[in-house]
Amino acid sequence: METLIGKREKRIDAYDKVTGKGLFASDYGNQFPNLAYMKACRSPYAHAKIKNLDISEANELDGVICILTGDIPGIDWDQFPKTAIIAKDETLWAGQIVALVSAETLEIAEKAVELIKCDYEKLPAVLDYYAAIEAKPVTVVDPDYETRPLGFTDRPGDRASNRISPNIVGSFKMHAGDVDAAMEMAEVVVEGEFWTGKKTANPLECANAICRYDSDGGITMWSNGAGVHGVIKQGICRVLDMQESKVRIIQPYMGGSFGSRLNPYIEMLTALMCLKTKRTVSFQYTREEIFIGAPSNWPCITKVKLGALKDGTIIANDYYLAEEIGACVNNTFFSGRLSSSGAVPVYRFPNLRMDACAIATNTVPAAEYRGLGCPEAEFGIECLVNQLADKLGISPVEVRMKNIIDKGERNAHGELITSIGLKKCLQSVTDIIKVEEEPNQDMGIWKKGRGCAVGGKQNTPLGRSEAEVWYNSDGSIQLFISCDENGMGATTAMAQIAAHEFQVPITDVRVTKGDTAITPYDNYSASSRTTYNTGNAVKFACEDAISKLKEEVARIYGLHPSKVEIKGHKALLAGSYIQEVDIPSLFQPTSMFSQGNWGLQKGSPVKGKGIFCPAPIHQWNDKGLSDRVWNWFQYSAAAVEVAVNEETGQVKVLNIASSADTGNPINPKLVESQIEGGIHMAIGFSINEEHLFDNNGKISNANFSDYRLPTILDMPTNKNVHSCINPDPLPDGPYGAKGMAESITIPVGPAIAEGIYKAVGVRVTGYPMTAERILALIKEKKAKEVTK
Amino acid sequence: MDIEKIKINITVNGRRHTLCVSPDRTLLEILREELNLIGTKKGCDDSNCGVCTVLMDGMAVKSCTILIPQANEHVITTIEGLEREKSLHPLQQSFIDHFAVQCGFCTPAMILTAKAILDENPNATEDDIREGLHGNVCRCTGYKKIVEAIEAVRDGEYKEICGEV
Repeated sequence: METLIGKREKRIDAYDKVTGKGLFASDYGNQFPNLAYMKACRSPYAHAKIKNLDISEANELDGVICILTGDIPGIDWDQFPKTAIIAKDETLWAGQIVALVSAETLEIAEKAVELIKCDYEKLPAVLDYYAAIEAKPVTVVDPDYETRPLGFTDRPGDRASNRISPNIVGSFKMHAGDVDAAMEMAEVVVEGEFWTGKKTANPLECANAICRYDSDGGITMWSNGAGVHGVIKQGICRVLDMQESKVRIIQPYMGGSFGSRLNPYIEMLTALMCLKTKRTVSFQYTREEIFIGAPSNWPCITKVKLGALKDGTIIANDYYLAEEIGACVNNTFFSGRLSSSGAVPVYRFPNLRMDACAIATNTVPAAEYRGLGCPEAEFGIECLVNQLADKLGISPVEVRMKNIIDKGERNAHGELITSIGLKKCLQSVTDIIKVEEEPNQDMGIWKKGRGCAVGGKQNTPLGRSEAEVWYNSDGSIQLFISCDENGMGATTAMAQIAAHEFQVPITDVRVTKGDTAITPYDNYSASSRTTYNTGNAVKFACEDAISKLKEEVARIYGLHPSKVEIKGHKALLAGSYIQEVDIPSLFQPTSMFSQGNWGLQKGSPVKGKGIFCPAPIHQWNDKGLSDRVWNWFQYSAAAVEVAVNEETGQVKVLNIASSADTGNPINPKLVESQIEGGIHMAIGFSINEEHLFDNNGKISNANFSDYRLPTILDMPTNKNVHSCINPDPLPDGPYGAKGMAESITIPVGPAIAEGIYKAVGVRVTGYPMTAERILALIKEKKAKEVTK
Repeated sequence: MDIEKIKINITVNGRRHTLCVSPDRTLLEILREELNLIGTKKGCDDSNCGVCTVLMDGMAVKSCTILIPQANEHVITTIEGLEREKSLHPLQQSFIDHFAVQCGFCTPAMILTAKAILDENPNATEDDIREGLHGNVCRCTGYKKIVEAIEAVRDGEYKEICGEV
């Protein structure tokens, strides 16, 4: 049988999903009689003092079971995920929970929320980066009512002094080479300040959890949260002080995540209510709550200055970045380091100074969103590289080819790059959309322009993945894993790896996934790591089972195990009087009377286990340098042709080519699916998606009427969406594979920005590039032309 | 807060149901909560995501904004009603074959909308398909493979009976 790696195997979950038979967490409500329902009462103000909270009337409503508030004893809210902290004295963003109700029906819970009387005193609020770093800024946590300081980390390499604002809550600095000296030598300099909008990932299934109270005091939870072991179970055991044996987390099909479900906010609150009331409870967020009560992404402000020689060689990058992280109290997670990592993997930058920080605001606490801040961090760099090309009169492709890191070189941190296919990616997309040629202007007031960009994203060497595999006595394979299936097809890829190892068709592999009582440990699917981490663990588990099976077969035939080869149902024996045996026939039947049941027995599988952890980082020095800050890097390039309406400022993507360096793809169709999905997600947030605020600092477009997700009409027609795969094998990935889903979104925004410039001559400095913004820039340009 | 219940007759996937329900409930709630047809999903409350799409008298409608009295005496098809005896609907098989499925949360609604598009116009062009699908949001796929799956059915690449159930 030939290899299954690189084959377009159909998704193993597709049948369940096209028939509607596959259960999502939000489909479990019907299965529980006597289910209780939760509903949250949320602050309407971005920043307010709670003067009085009266729940008495709500408590008296018939059918109300329990109302939790921020002052219930015995709860250390600081241990909760940020969006799950119930406010006590002060609300820090519009949407923070002030009381949490459970009731016999959803209607009663909703009525109870209406009956809760909360008396607020509005406080000044900080809604964006610029307000947060004003000379005399309002503080995100009012000093008079400060109960939970925002915290400041002092990790090595952090900038622990020079805090210009109380709202700067973490920082990271690195300096490779000598940027000042290099800037002196530079023959051309481009610089600018860039911004990005605040957005919500909005997987279509809203966050939800059902927590069953079990008769032994334990809990069983079904939720669409990510990381059954590493995120949800560990979180619940630690924060709610539960025995590990008494917490079981099950992840049915997930209706998307894009990073946003890596934060167990709803799970914590549902488990807490379940334990307080000893009832099986259901908490289903509405779409509005996904905007105001679930984590957003973190926007970034960057100030970038590139110094280059006349031939286009970039010799210095002076780089400032601020992550705007919302109301993340007691921040220990953000320092600017995650986002600014995007400045490292792509270009050589022999001299790179990074000064990054995290800024708190009175907006919904931020958390992971596809790309971990890299699309935001690299936007400015890519825009400036395009400007540099324009300024020098050389092609944007050529200037990139000159500066992109080659395999075997070290990046600015000092890390060895072992896999980079980015030049091939860039070549392939610009072969399809020729950015060096002018498009025909044949659309009237719609002006066309082309642009390209590239992007790279680190993989964080965190986590531990385990896998268990059974070779059943009939030769069928069972695989047990706990990686998340957000929709990307990870389970299919894992089944493909197992099928490949055992040399069976993929239909002979059954995957059991995401149940902490059954499937082995995995942290979570984040940082595009599943193919690499879980993939390696599955490969190890298969090798372990195969090695045990070889031993068993070898014993029967008096051979050394090395003389046995397993090919699906067959064992090939070297040097024996028998050349080939049918493995299932070696499993002895057992009956209730049989004795001495050693060896291969019917019904008792041969089991293998695999564990994979990437090598840890080497702590960076006082300059932020180390030969291992991250793990490997994924890359993508994009080229676009856009049309801009000169009269309205509206931007349309007419044609797009995107390429991914995936390492060797396990399943090219799944990779293609990720490319197309990434394109579409990036078109959405580059052109349209962002939070808008009302006078109270509340998100005013917290619904799909006013926050428009990209529809099919925002995508180019099918013949104008091009996906290319340009693998550079990752030496330590399974079969040379690596992850890829995050990098796709990075180059799309800056490529569109360049297309807009070529079309109408205006340089955008941030996204979303809405019609209003583009029109304002066009008007500004025309006004300047008139003055001249 | 209690509203007087009313009698509703609806035919869902070929079966006639008589229900006594509160008239302020939506078709989506009745399908999911009373009839256990959970293939119809909920993603928002204002008919902008489309994952709740079902067919009402053959037309694609968003069941989250149909109050149950509006569905009285109407014929509803949900994803559960699409399979033929021992066979997938051609659109279902084509969605599998063309990788038009990722997380799967929008998939039942996409397939039903696709059916309505092709039932109305068996020769629907790509533009017609795009126009018909623009009320159905998918966050994962970028839509390309969904259009490919629908076009394959339009082009007769699938027989009426396809794929074992």
